[in-house]
Amino acid sequence: MTIEEGVKYVAAAYAIILAVLVIYYFMSARRVTALQRDVQLLEDEAKRLQAPAGEAGAE
Amino acid sequence: MKKLVSAPALFIGAGVFLITGLMLAFWYSPVDSSSMGFSQKIFYYHVPIAETALVAFGIAFVAAVAYLRTQDLKWDRLSYVSVRLGLLFSILVMITGMIWGKAAWDTWWAWEPRLTTFLLVCFLYAAYWVLRSVVDEEQRRATYAAVFAIIAFINVPITFFATRFLPEGLHPVVISAGGTGMEGSMFVSFFISMIGMTLLLVALTRRDLAIENLKDRVTDLKTSLGG
Repeated sequence: MTIEEGVKYVAAAYAIILAVLVIYYFMSARRVTALQRDVQLLEDEAKRLQAPAGEAGAE
Repeated sequence: MKKLVSAPALFIGAGVFLITGLMLAFWYSPVDSSSMGFSQKIFYYHVPIAETALVAFGIAFVAAVAYLRTQDLKWDRLSYVSVRLGLLFSILVMITGMIWGKAAWDTWWAWEPRLTTFLLVCFLYAAYWVLRSVVDEEQRRATYAAVFAIIAFINVPITFFATRFLPEGLHPVVISAGGTGMEGSMFVSFFISMIGMTLLLVALTRRDLAIENLKDRVTDLKTSLGG
């Protein structure tokens, strides 16, 4: 096989590897960000619900 | 446990090693003089990805054993994440292997020992995912998954040694007891890519574990809020 013939196979293999790994990297990064936001919202909601109960208990 | 290296540092380290390995593979290592010719350049990522996939399945096996001994769900999460990444890397191995096979031997697929056992590994770990999705109760799901991960791992050493015990297949033996069969510059490029791929596995494992921990936290918070 000549270099010219081999190049397209090598390029295809590396393109697939890099594409899959880069897509997985960014997808997982987005997932972490979204979950951190969800946790923050839920923690805020839990604090908000606990606050009146705590105030009522103090009274 | 205190984290020794931060997640961004691991990703950056992996990227530096992988890019360096790739550049050395093309500009430092010579074109293979055998029948494979230029297509042998696929080797510099194909083999490290394959070894990393097998390492990931090994981690899943160890974590599964640890879960069955301790019943601690952190080991189940590690096993699950390792299987997911192992499967991702295995799919890449299959795709790049098929491309390399077409280039080197003019065939996309051959039912020879290494390829067949590796395909079996992919199917087994895909079944692991199916198993997890059909069991709802957390502890029961973790127990079934751990047992399955241990049984599935039996095929991993069979895959690794397939070409050594049955050398008549198409797939060459790269690293054997007698050495690597590579000349120095090829080994340097391969070894650097290997380090990069291993670092990438560690970095992705840590991130995926963080995702699973965050998912658990969301579930706990929703439960406590009555949702």
